[in-house]
Amino acid sequence: MWNTIPAYLLEQHEPVVFSENTGKTKLPFLERTLRKIAATIKLMYLQSEVTTEKKILHIHPQVKVFSFIYLIVVISLANTVCSQLTAFAFIVVFYLISKTSYKYVYRKILFLSFVFGLLIFLPALLNGITPGKIVFKIFTFNTSYQFWIYHIPQTIGITDSGIHIVSLLFLRVLNSISLAMLFLFSSSFPQLIKGFKVFFIPDTFIMIISLAYKFIFILSKSIEETYFALKSRLAGNVNNKNLQNIISGRVFYIFKKAKSNYENTYSAMVSKGYCGKVIFQKENKLKVADVYFLLAAIVSGIIIILI
Amino acid sequence: MGKIISLKDINYSYFGKIPALKNISSDIESGEMFCIIGQNGSGKSTLLNIMNALIFPDSGEVYFKENKITEKSIHDKNLNLRLRQSMGFIFQNPDVQLFCPTVFDELLFAPLQLNMSIDEAHERAEQTLSYLNIEYLKDRAVHMLSGGEKKKVAIASVLTMNPEILLVDEPLSGLDPKTQTFFIELLLELNKAGKTIIFTTHQLDLVDHIQPRVAVLSEDHTIEKTGTATEILNDEEFLISVNLIHEHIHKHGEETHKHYHSHYVFHKH
Repeated sequence: MWNTIPAYLLEQHEPVVFSENTGKTKLPFLERTLRKIAATIKLMYLQSEVTTEKKILHIHPQVKVFSFIYLIVVISLANTVCSQLTAFAFIVVFYLISKTSYKYVYRKILFLSFVFGLLIFLPALLNGITPGKIVFKIFTFNTSYQFWIYHIPQTIGITDSGIHIVSLLFLRVLNSISLAMLFLFSSSFPQLIKGFKVFFIPDTFIMIISLAYKFIFILSKSIEETYFALKSRLAGNVNNKNLQNIISGRVFYIFKKAKSNYENTYSAMVSKGYCGKVIFQKENKLKVADVYFLLAAIVSGIIIILI
Repeated sequence: MGKIISLKDINYSYFGKIPALKNISSDIESGEMFCIIGQNGSGKSTLLNIMNALIFPDSGEVYFKENKITEKSIHDKNLNLRLRQSMGFIFQNPDVQLFCPTVFDELLFAPLQLNMSIDEAHERAEQTLSYLNIEYLKDRAVHMLSGGEKKKVAIASVLTMNPEILLVDEPLSGLDPKTQTFFIELLLELNKAGKTIIFTTHQLDLVDHIQPRVAVLSEDHTIEKTGTATEILNDEEFLISVNLIHEHIHKHGEETHKHYHSHYVFHKH
């Protein structure tokens, strides 16, 4: 059937001796990034699929979307640190009820809150930006300066008003992100997307979004497999040019795969009778649990605002 | 002979939620033909990924020639190089595996990475093309090949590394009967040439053809039984319990009868 086995395949293998400290391998940044993206998408997809016992998962999608938007507005309107802390307490309770594994989301919440809620607002702690009583002196100049429209006072320090404002902003971002994560991780994607009907989004548009999401999930799987295939053969020295060629080839493959996927899906839809209009099944009526959930969200919002 | 891969009490789950492997322990000898069988979703591919240090278990230990492989240790350049050089992984989907512009580039990729001279790498690639009778594909673009051709190129691209161990995920998946026969014979010949072959399948016919040592993964993601192909294939009750055979209607000429599906077990042919 084939020719004689090549001689090199019959060569004896040298014993493998591993030595320590011969330098570290570094996978290309792009590949690592792709894999991280794939893993995150997979996690988001799986998180809501694996635990069927989550009570919050079965809440009517439109109730869930309405509650989410309502609570986000409430968090934006709450103007005191105390009310934000109360909101945080309510969110923790919602996490407990939802049985969402906080372990998998808290790092993301803390990272995003740190970057968008603390890091970029840090200068607001200083008296140069937020005037107030200095509670912690950092530096003292010989004299105050006037630079363009900015006044730099003689003593630079953290003010009480600055602490209040930064705390408020940080808690607001933390609460918003926590709520968004809770919403994402306690909802299956089809359910979540159906919830957008509350904004009277047409069925066809919902169908397009859900198909796009499905493609992203399938593609993330392809990206992960591609990464493994590359990893299993990236043994030694690969120069940057070769890597660029490989990665561009992979991007092309993923593009090609995406194209064939959507063409096949469209054909499958047409073969099932699709002719331009999508008809979804009607959502079930509200259950008692849905009403309780909605009431809990509304009451929480009122308490947060009133504190 | 000697242990080439050892797995000790391996557990793996996806994001700590979905179990993929539970308490897996097994030793694979050098030069052995070893098969992991199990129904879809039992964890066969995951186990191969762990053996190839592509993913790492939540708990348990993996040894390659008595060297412990961990996520940290594999970052060592030397260990990584020797491990990748020693193990060739043929993925179920050849598309993900082929990333060079032409077939010949694909075959040259591994030898050049292993610091082989250009002349030697060319010679090796030419020999491999000739061995697998795919010289005619040499300058073809990889993405334009048929499924069977891609699979042949995928195996050729791994063979040019001259790996000691071949990990093959579902070798016959998506292949026509002629190409399936080609692969079965190829695996047998490579094993005869001294390569350790580890493959996954849920096709009992393939196990019957190749007669490897078999580990059976159950739907509970544990190794239920390990034994010779004959021992496993003759244990009808066990095969039913792990969902590898099932009852269905079967037709021979004009005669139609209903029995559990396995030619080996029920027809002895």
